[in-house]
Formats: sequence, C-alpha cells, structure tokens
Amino acid sequence: MRIFRILFFKELKAYFFSPFGWLILAFAALMQGFVLTEALEAFSDQAQRENLVFVTFSSPLFWFYFFVLFPVLTMRLFSEESRSGTLEGLLTAPVQTWQVVLSKFSASYLTFLILWIPAFFHFYLFTILTDVPPPFSKGEVGGAMIAIALMGLLFTACGCLASALTSSQIIAGLVCLGLLLVHFFLGAVTNIFGDTIPAAPLFEFVSSQNHLRDLTRGLVDTRPIAYYLSTTAFFLFLTYHLLDFRRWKP
Amino acid sequence: MIEISSLSKSYGRHLAVDKISFEVTRGDIVGFLGPNGAGKTTTLRMLTGFLPPTSGAARIAGKDIFRESLEVRRRIGYMPENVPLYVDMRVKEYLRFRGALKGLSGSRLRKRTAEVMETCGLTDVRRKMIKTLSKGYRQRVGLADALIHEPDLLILDEPTNGLDPNQIRAIRKLIQNLGDKHTILLSTHILSEVEMTCNKVVIIDGGKVKAADTPSNLVSSMRQAGRVTVELQTPKNEVEPIISSFDEVTRVVGETLQDGWNRFTVFAAPKTDTRLKIGNLAAEKKWPLRALSRRVGTLEEVFVELTRKD
Repeated sequence: MRIFRILFFKELKAYFFSPFGWLILAFAALMQGFVLTEALEAFSDQAQRENLVFVTFSSPLFWFYFFVLFPVLTMRLFSEESRSGTLEGLLTAPVQTWQVVLSKFSASYLTFLILWIPAFFHFYLFTILTDVPPPFSKGEVGGAMIAIALMGLLFTACGCLASALTSSQIIAGLVCLGLLLVHFFLGAVTNIFGDTIPAAPLFEFVSSQNHLRDLTRGLVDTRPIAYYLSTTAFFLFLTYHLLDFRRWKP
Repeated sequence: MIEISSLSKSYGRHLAVDKISFEVTRGDIVGFLGPNGAGKTTTLRMLTGFLPPTSGAARIAGKDIFRESLEVRRRIGYMPENVPLYVDMRVKEYLRFRGALKGLSGSRLRKRTAEVMETCGLTDVRRKMIKTLSKGYRQRVGLADALIHEPDLLILDEPTNGLDPNQIRAIRKLIQNLGDKHTILLSTHILSEVEMTCNKVVIIDGGKVKAADTPSNLVSSMRQAGRVTVELQTPKNEVEPIISSFDEVTRVVGETLQDGWNRFTVFAAPKTDTRLKIGNLAAEKKWPLRALSRRVGTLEEVFVELTRKD
C-alpha cells in the first residue's frame, strides 16, 4: 500500500506539476461550457420534454470531447516509460507489477474525475445565478455523475491497455481512441439496424449512450454498474499481464 | 553472493546467452567483459529480474532470481545501461522517490539521500531538473539511485559509458571506494578500467563464458604469456635446434636484424619462464647476448585472444 501511494502521487504530480494537466482541464472546462450553452439555447428556443442534464449530455459535441480526453490522459502512462527506458528502473525496484498498474490507473482516473468538477459546478451555478426554478433535479445530476464516473473507469482502463501495448505515445493514443469508438458504435448498432435483430439486447446492454440516457433521467440500474466494474477489472487484468508477460515469456 | 548455473536466454531463434555459469563471492568487484552483443546486458537484466531466463537458474544472496524476485530486487542496486531517469524531476526529488520505492522512509530516507548526494558529488545540483544535467551528472544520479538503499550487491551496466576521461576517473575512484562495503558486478568494455578496479574478470562472447578468473591469472595464462625474445649474434641454424629441444618450447622463430644480430622469438607454454635457461645456455656456449625479455601480457590481449572471430 505504501508503494502504491508513492507511485500514485508521483503520477498525479506528473499531471498537475506540469502544464499538461492544466491544459486538459482548460480544454475540458471550455468544451463543457460549450455543451451547456448549446443545451441552454435549446431550452430558450422551445420547450423541451427532457431535463437540462439529459439535454446537455445527449449532445453529439459531448461525445466528441469526452472521447478525446481518454487518449490524452492515458497515452503517456506506460509507453513513455518504455520508450525512455525508465520502465526498467521501475520494474527492477522492489515493486510489484499490480502496484504499478493500479497506481497509474488510479492517478489518471482521479485526474479524469477532477476534469468534471467544472461541469457539475455549472449546474450548481445555474441554481444560484438564475431565479428560474432549475429544469433538473438533484437525482438527475447525481445520475449523470455516476454515469461519467462509470464510463471513466472503463475508458481509462482501455487507455492503460493501449499504452502498455506500445512504446509510441501516438499509437497508444490512436489505439485507445479506436477502442472507444468501437465501443461507441457497438452501442449504436440498434439505432442503425433496428432493435429487432437477434443480438439487439446485447448491443443495448453495452451501449454507453443508453446508460447515459437512463442515468441522466435519474434512473439508476445496477446492471450497467456491474458491466463497467467487471470490464474495467478485465482491461486492467490484461494490462497487468501485458507488463508481466515480459517477466515470464519463454 | 551470486551463483549462476547454466543460465540461458533466447530471443526467438537467437540465442543471446548460452548456458553461462559463474560465481561471485561477497566483497568481489567483478568486471563483466565482452564485445558488443555478447550478452552482457541480457545477463544483467536476467539477474535483476527484468527479463526471465529461458532456462537455468541463478541465486543472489541465496534467493532465486525468478521465484523470489522481490527479495532479490531489494538486495540489488541496479544501474541500467544509458541510465534512464525521469527527466522532469529534480535530482533530490528523484532520489527521494527512488529511495521511498526501495523501502526507505522518514529520517532514514532524508539521511540516505543526503549521503548518496555527497558520495556521488550531486549536492550542488540537487535542485536542478534532471533534463538540464550533463551526461556525467546523469550517470552519477543513476549511481546514487543504485546506492540509496545500501544494497549488498551493485550491478552496473557500463557505468562509464560516454564519459570524458576526468569523469571516468572520478567514477572509477567512486567504484573502488564502494568496493569496501559492496559486492560489485560491472559490465564494461574499457579494459584498463577493469585492470585497475576489479579483482575478478568474467569474459563472455557469443553468449558463452570464455574465462572467469583474476586479471593477473588471466594475463599469465594467455597463450602469448610464455613468449621470450632473445637477441644473439650467433647464426640462426646453430641456435634454433638447441632452444627448440627444451620441453616447454613449442617453436623458435629467428630473424636477422639490420645490424647483423639475430632476434629469436621463443614460443613456450604459458606460465613458464625460459629466460634463465636461455641465459645460462648463452653463457655456457659463449654466445654474445644483448637482450633477453619475457612478454608481459595485458588484459586487452587476453580479451582479443578470447573473443577474436578470425
């Protein structure tokens, strides 16, 4: 646990003691502002059936910047260490591979969560800056938080895996983006082919769009929670073995 | 301290290390020599647990390098080739981070960080970013990192690679001083360095151990070591048969010098000295003799003899 803590803070420092973390934070805050503005404009144009949280998070612009965050946050994690050779120093120190994997994952996940502070602060601002009754409830904001946190888990784990695959940051970033897009389009299959195809329930089950839609309506289902936790564990398990493969390959 | 028994490593079809075995006892400074691509770095990486051996085993301080990797890694201070460091950290910050990873904490971490910075001459640059340091200083940071947890065994992969002569001298002195407390295994291809610092040498080539002994034993047992040169005024055909008849002599080659004297090169078995016999013979036969010398080999010649391809 001590080793984990040391590595975790080292990774966290790498994000926030350099311009890198702040640049991503600025980018995320800017995009969150755009998306909210877009949603508010929709509300001022005409009456909306859904709440503000739902409209904000169902914008296509949301998915665009949401998917960009993960490659940027995670591509550096392992590939940079293996390119510069510091991985050798790290793994010949008395540390266990799972400590390395978990600390890197946790640090980038925490950074990801920090990026969402502005977005949820916006909703709070709405209630204190305007005197209209907020067009959303606390439960819907909470649901959105859960959705962001859950998707963040899986997608950060995807990024870790992509980064452990290669020593080039660019390739790691592209592989991560590729994985996320494949996941996204698996969720969109039923939109294209209709929900009468045989595997429709499967595609609906893995669809992040569906999860986000349900949760931003305040509907908390345990199935997506189990889905995200188990797939995250699986991707981290793969990352662990990719790194450890070096130690036992023939 | 280190016991290696028939350790092998192959990368696909390429056999990088082929059943090497040797031992290092506590307190030794061992020079690990070999031409480029001989398998030095691979062997060191296996010992530090970074690469798994394909077959064979090795024990460090009685612990198996594969099964008890973590225990082994606690006892080793390893400085990899080209010294990879986190260049965005400051020197002191880096050493504190590495020290903490290796299990130091609190006042002991503070004390050891100050000590290794002092030993390696880093106190002046402790607040500098590692990326602004010169190669020599980076090398010292790597060495300080290897030393920080007071390991029993230091494994240094080309510690003086790319340094200028003054820096090499400083590092060599440092290694000699460290030899009092630590067992050191260092790989290099600078032979003069090994002659000066190491009390044991292991030479590998093509993944195989060619020799493992003290530098002086290696030098005295090399093929050229018994060779004696004599300069006489006596005709060649008179001298050659007599000297050739000595037991230890394999061959005598004579050549006539410009001033009419003859120089004979006497090829004899290593570890023999035929000078006295030849001197007595010349005195007995009243041969005019003006030079008689025995070849003193260098480690470089041993190295070339053992690793030359032709």
